[in-house]
Amino acid sequence: MLSDSEATELLSFLTPSTRPDVKGRATEYILGLSGNRDGCRFLRSKPDLIVALFALISDPSIAIAKDCYHIIINLSADETLHQVLVTDIKIVPVLLKKLLDPEHMFSDQISTILSNLTRHQKTCKTVFKVLQEEVGLAQLVEVFCNECYNKNAKLHYLGALLSNLTQLPEARSYIMDKDRCVIQRLLPFTQYQASVVRRGGVIGTLHNCCFDHAHHDWLLSDNVDILPFLLLPLAGPEDLSEEENEGLPVDLQYLPEDKQREEDPDIRKMLLETLLLLTATKSGRKTLKEKNAYPILREFHRWEKDPHVTAACEKLVQVLIGDEPEEGMENLMEVEIPEDVEKKLKEADAKEEEELEKEQERRKQEEEEEERKKSSDAKLTDREQESGLIK
Amino acid sequence: MAQSDSDDGMDEFMDKFKTQRYKNAFCENNWEKEFDKVPMFMKTAPEEFKPQEYPELACLQAIVHDEDRPPEEQAKSLKDEGNAYFKEKNYQKAILSYTAGLKKNCGDQDLSAVLLTNRAASHFHLGNMRSALHDAAAAKKIKPDHLKALIRGAQCCVELRNFSEAIQWCDEGLKAHPTDKKLQEIRAAADKHKRAAERDARKAKVKGKKLQSEKEALLAAIKSRGIKLLQSGTPHQHGSDSDGEDERSSAAIAQLSLDGLSSQEVTGAQVFLDEQGSLHWPVLFLYPEHQQSDFISAFCENNCFTDHLAVMFSELPPWDTDRKYLPQNLQLYFEDEETETLYQVDPETSLLNTLQHQRFFIKAGSPSFIVLVNGSSFWKQFLSGKKIK
Repeated sequence: MLSDSEATELLSFLTPSTRPDVKGRATEYILGLSGNRDGCRFLRSKPDLIVALFALISDPSIAIAKDCYHIIINLSADETLHQVLVTDIKIVPVLLKKLLDPEHMFSDQISTILSNLTRHQKTCKTVFKVLQEEVGLAQLVEVFCNECYNKNAKLHYLGALLSNLTQLPEARSYIMDKDRCVIQRLLPFTQYQASVVRRGGVIGTLHNCCFDHAHHDWLLSDNVDILPFLLLPLAGPEDLSEEENEGLPVDLQYLPEDKQREEDPDIRKMLLETLLLLTATKSGRKTLKEKNAYPILREFHRWEKDPHVTAACEKLVQVLIGDEPEEGMENLMEVEIPEDVEKKLKEADAKEEEELEKEQERRKQEEEEEERKKSSDAKLTDREQESGLIK
Repeated sequence: MAQSDSDDGMDEFMDKFKTQRYKNAFCENNWEKEFDKVPMFMKTAPEEFKPQEYPELACLQAIVHDEDRPPEEQAKSLKDEGNAYFKEKNYQKAILSYTAGLKKNCGDQDLSAVLLTNRAASHFHLGNMRSALHDAAAAKKIKPDHLKALIRGAQCCVELRNFSEAIQWCDEGLKAHPTDKKLQEIRAAADKHKRAAERDARKAKVKGKKLQSEKEALLAAIKSRGIKLLQSGTPHQHGSDSDGEDERSSAAIAQLSLDGLSSQEVTGAQVFLDEQGSLHWPVLFLYPEHQQSDFISAFCENNCFTDHLAVMFSELPPWDTDRKYLPQNLQLYFEDEETETLYQVDPETSLLNTLQHQRFFIKAGSPSFIVLVNGSSFWKQFLSGKKIK
């Protein structure tokens, strides 16, 4: 690593008035440093450097500003840097202000930084507090939901930011404010084809929100109507009869032949887990049964190949077609699980995971076998062709 | 001291009452009518009135509409006037008042926004949605956070079934008034309508597709049997060689839309494909002797004519005065219009076989057959001078 004197020299190159080519080299070098963990830890020990770099995000040279943003992105990915960035240097208010500027060129980079900073609960809490003071979550949601807000940035990572923020109950209660229209704006994005990040962020947000079962009735009511938006990505171009169609929620009726299902298996799993959360209460189970979630899931189960996702689907289907639990156990989230039962359940879960892993390995091996066979077949025909030629 | 002076004539005036009767008092039979003339007691303003009959009202109106008053005051009075008409549900008059108020151009933005919004409400209640929307938009332009204008605009969009725009209006409104219940309510309703409309579009598309594939299956079935359809209105070209004929007939099938199949019969019956893959045709039987006809709405192609004729003539029809149309006496023909040739049909053959005849062209989607009584004088007459095959 750099010596103290070298670091000081480097610092001197990072002033706004330095010649651009010298500045550029310095930032480039630091970008390289920030690319690995040791480099990040070193920079952590030299907060002056970070302060200088942070100031340079406003540099007139786009290349330099961009490099500085990328350095901060790298730093923010390392949790040990969070204290320095958020509490000591206080980068968040500045970044938020720029984020709101519809002309700003680096809003995507800002979104990524903020998303990194909110991954872990401790810093997330601090960031949320600053966010509420400076900008307010409602405004963030508005910016996010307005696709044309900033022509220089897509702001998809704000979805990830929202998802991270909702690990906090205070953020969740804000998003699920019954007196405002916040969560409703997010719902259409569960189908957003153009970005898996945005889609995943929104679905992650909804998933976290569904942990609060007190809100389930409201979420499932017409005021929000979360259910169709969770089922749509799982529904395919099934040719259902007119009768079956009429029994589905409006958004799921008469889907066209080119309807595609969600292509990311992790997101599919998350959707199923969210639906499972909604079955925790008796009324939630009732609603899902009444609104005919089952046929959608039945067809989905037939289509799904990934064993982890299939398992999640089966869990959900079991609740939907199973009997109601006995008196006192109706809210599955509030049931007291005795210790020995809990232990057994955990063991069963672990075993299931193991088997799923094995299953996945097996499938992977099968696929590789297929590939090898295909390529060896190809080789065979090549050889045949060659021998043919010689003849 | 002043009280004892009677310089002001007050005492004398008061004394008069002791001696003279009060004139122009209300009397039993006209007091209600008179009451209504006093502006203070009017329940509604008269539409048109003569100033002489209602002098006090005329006075008040003159004060209200006095051109010398500052424009803001005039505009405000007109607003109040409009509001009064609005309360009476006299929306036309309300609009006139608001319009007059806006014409004053008083420069008070708040007042203008209110006038426009109220006019929008009046239009709304008259069902003039576009005018209402226009006014609401104008109000919004002057005062972007004017809640009533935002609500009204959203409502107009919903009435005009422009649900996306309604949602946009609501979202604009919610920016300034995030907790407004009415806006949230309208937004939720508009969103619901929008999604229902999207479903309806999908449904129509699916149904259209289904209909289309059924159509195609039907035409394919007809074509595969080698049955030829005559496109209604297509002029016959006189092709001489058989190749030309085949080309023409397959062209007729190729370009055929279902219109070529729709029967011109009043019943509107049409050929269809049943679940076993058999075609059922609407068939016309003509009896030129008596200018009569019979219509079988669904003649299965696998049935033969005798089956139907036996049923149709199990009881002799009323127009058969000679009582000669017995099933065993009947002869069937079809006409090739182009060559003006009659082809005899063996009643024992199936419809399908007959339709597959090289010279059989189905006109207007409904095969027709001529029925004659063998050996009758009409039969002789009809067949003489015709080419028969």
